[in-house]
Amino acid sequence: MQLDGTFTIAASRLQVWEAIRDPGLMARCIPGCEAAEKISEDRYHALIGIKIGPISAKFNLVIDVEEEAAPESIRSKASGEEGSRASMLTARNFLSLMEIESNLTEVSWSSDVNVTGRLGKYGLGLMKKKAKSLSDEFVTVFAKRVETGAVTS
Amino acid sequence: MNFVVSPKSVDEAVNFLVEHPEARPMSGGASLVAMKNARLIDASHFVSLANIDGLRGIGRVGDSLRIGGMTRHSDIATCDLLKGDLEMIRLAAGQIANSVIRNMGTMGGAIGNADPAADYLPVLACADGEVEITGPDGVRRLPVLDYVLDWYETALELGEIVTAVFLPSPKEARSVYRKLARTPGDYATASVACCAVDQGVRVAVGACGPRPLRSREAEATLAGKMHDVDAIAEFGQALRELADPLDDVRGSSQYRLQLIPRMVSAAIADVMEPV
Repeated sequence: MQLDGTFTIAASRLQVWEAIRDPGLMARCIPGCEAAEKISEDRYHALIGIKIGPISAKFNLVIDVEEEAAPESIRSKASGEEGSRASMLTARNFLSLMEIESNLTEVSWSSDVNVTGRLGKYGLGLMKKKAKSLSDEFVTVFAKRVETGAVTS
Repeated sequence: MNFVVSPKSVDEAVNFLVEHPEARPMSGGASLVAMKNARLIDASHFVSLANIDGLRGIGRVGDSLRIGGMTRHSDIATCDLLKGDLEMIRLAAGQIANSVIRNMGTMGGAIGNADPAADYLPVLACADGEVEITGPDGVRRLPVLDYVLDWYETALELGEIVTAVFLPSPKEARSVYRKLARTPGDYATASVACCAVDQGVRVAVGACGPRPLRSREAEATLAGKMHDVDAIAEFGQALRELADPLDDVRGSSQYRLQLIPRMVSAAIADVMEPV
């Protein structure tokens, strides 16, 4: 499924960029993320749980940065499985940062996500709604953290 | 310990659920067991509520009607107490799936699962029903619309189970449940519960958002104008604006949006006395 969005953050582009490349901070902002770590310069690992109604799935994700132009844009792919279960998640993501003012950055992102396995029971329509509410939740938490950090630093 | 445990009291069930966070309460098991067999869900235990006294049956309690959480759909579909403005609940129960499932599934289980396309939520929202929840902190009651938080998400916390549904005593008034489904017994593509009240109607729409759509404000505006075609069209429009339907195998969100005003006017026509 294709997902995308745009939001603005009251912080400089560099501050937003550094936040995006900080796995510890991202882990605290991504809904359902239990752990995230940097494995190498271009590779991250994350454990993310997704729950819809009684069905929950926990994905062991490997995120590879495929292309980046600091502090403007980043292209990545993520893929992971759910332990021994037949659930799988893959995503190709693109994110770009635009400086609107010195302390105001616009973040545009898009993602092509595929989820197979037990969460698929609910169908694409509901998955999209769930993805939308998760991304809204992320934006709220992420913006707040980066903005608070931007004020104190 | 067995995978299925059968406590004898609500307290015992609640304690077990609190001590075993990966356990799940099981009422009839109509959906839960099928989901388990399909390996869609994991659980450390199923806590069967079948051997707990007092969770089954429909009766009067003061000014209210109480439907126990373990009351089966088939018992609800044939209950004489559900008449007048509560008849729609009986009609909805009779349209759930097929008779095998109606003999197995229960109201508490169906509400616990909170499938937005299932049949109870809209009729209970229309009837001003309240969900009784029992958990480690005791008993609480929530209006149906406050009980459903999001898609398949309810206000139930760890260790809490649906023990009953409370309804106002039935009044002399017509009520109806209109369900549009691809085939009899399927989940609703869209559904409408409607009952007549003095000068007006109460209406709740199902399967067009995470929870039933209901607008007391629009109901108040419509009151007294029950034979005004434009006012009814506006009312249908107001409910449509509350909708957040899914695209799924039962229909597109656009199709559902178009169904809402039509099904709402048809349901209102059903409960109106002829001029």
